Amino acid sequence: METYYNVWKERNAMKTTANTEQPPLYVVHPLDDAPETKRSPDGLRPIPMRGSVRASLIALRCYLIAIMLLAIYRILMLAGLFGHVAAK
Amino acid sequence: MEQETAPTVAESVMPPVPAKAVVVHKRWQQRLLQHLMVIGPGLIVMEADNDAGAVSTYTQAGAQYGLHLLWLMLVLLPVCYFIQEMVARLGIATGQGHAAMIYKRFGKWWGRFSLFDLLLVNFLTLVTEFAAISLATQKMGISPWLSVPVSAAALVAMVITGSYLRWERITIFLCLLDLVWLAMAWAAHPGAAAVVHHTLIPNAPPKGWTSDLILMVIAIVGTTIAPWQLFFQQSAVADKKLRFKDLRSARLDTLIGSCFTILVAGAMICVGNVMYRHHLNYEDPAQMAETIGPLVGHWVRNGVLLFMINAAVLGTTAISLASAWAVAEVKEWPHSLQMPFRKAQGFYITYVVCTALAAAIVLIPRAPLQLIIIGVQVLAGLILPSAIVFLQLLLNDRELLGDEFVNKPWNNVVNWLIVCVLFILSVVLAVQVIAPNLFPANP
Repeated sequence: METYYNVWKERNAMKTTANTEQPPLYVVHPLDDAPETKRSPDGLRPIPMRGSVRASLIALRCYLIAIMLLAIYRILMLAGLFGHVAAK
Repeated sequence: MEQETAPTVAESVMPPVPAKAVVVHKRWQQRLLQHLMVIGPGLIVMEADNDAGAVSTYTQAGAQYGLHLLWLMLVLLPVCYFIQEMVARLGIATGQGHAAMIYKRFGKWWGRFSLFDLLLVNFLTLVTEFAAISLATQKMGISPWLSVPVSAAALVAMVITGSYLRWERITIFLCLLDLVWLAMAWAAHPGAAAVVHHTLIPNAPPKGWTSDLILMVIAIVGTTIAPWQLFFQQSAVADKKLRFKDLRSARLDTLIGSCFTILVAGAMICVGNVMYRHHLNYEDPAQMAETIGPLVGHWVRNGVLLFMINAAVLGTTAISLASAWAVAEVKEWPHSLQMPFRKAQGFYITYVVCTALAAAIVLIPRAPLQLIIIGVQVLAGLILPSAIVFLQLLLNDRELLGDEFVNKPWNNVVNWLIVCVLFILSVVLAVQVIAPNLFPANP
């Protein structure tokens, strides 16, 4: 009987300790923290060329080519190659 | 003989506290400190975007169109946030910079193309930053032969200390100094009711949508969202080693930075508005400072000149770092502000070369500052859509990011809308080039 009482008392004491003593709250600066495993592209194959990716890259290429041509046209126009000077 | 005491229940349950941890007592203190430790890359990237070119563009917008373009800043606020949030998310998820990511996921051709674009626009922008330092210090009676090399040396010194935190703290301090723009805007008396009206209600200036106004709008968009920002913030997030759990704080950081930069930009427009109200001719920010000094107080004159230098310094350090990080990532050189010079020579040398070369070019006399500044903003505006397309595609790369970090459907709708608007603005700019008389010119 006394043994059961002692076990109960001990458990009760443990519960009380756990309830009153909160674990410490702490903050670690990212530079001081342990490094975590990131989602690295190393080892992955290049991005899959799905329809949306392919369409975006084609649109981008067309845009860049058009911009380049316009820039060249503007430079040639300013150089007077088309017989007139462009409006400012 | 002394017996060893067994650990209490609480001790055995508690995890060990890391050596450099800061212990706090309340949950709110923990959250606040967590945010404060993460804040940096978002604030810096946004405020550094208010560089010398931005001071010039925003004050010119105020001088030529009064407060009529303030609404545009409100429109650009969510645009800034959504784009930079994606960058922060990508940086936290991968722990790598933007240049490395394009190189590894889209192959060498696109990787080199993006790097070349970035380096070209960044270098031209750096030239304008030093040109602004030269111009402002000249007005203050200091020879550019002294001010430009000293600025370049200071910019190198603040980076090569081998401490990310030291650089970040100095830069945040410089960012916060920009709050003085709000005081200068207050001194300019734009009228609170007019500011609120023009901010909340989109309206065109009295002369309507002229070709000059369209160019100005494109220049403002080009200066508010610049390609280097994508590269800078992702690399900074990676260099600061932000963790997955820091994503929420990084978003807050980006939001604070977006609000801060838009607020300061609006203040610059209000300062420029003094020229508009008095029908004065605008040439550049330094000339504006001289002109409005007698009207609103000499401290505003000195303030504009000093904060033009501050803007240029912030811009230079961020842009040079964006270039240095990008080159080092693609070349796979060691690249971190935490590393001493001898361990990351390629990274630091790129930074030093970018800074020193731009400073040297500015010392060549009679550079047309205003023309270069607007030209760079326009060029950045043209290149921006391509940079954002890669960002958008990377944020939909489920194989790389998994479900946790990939864009949500609403993210995609918002971001593709932004990409489309930027493409349209770029096409309008291109049409302006090929058919300059399509829109009515200013009377």
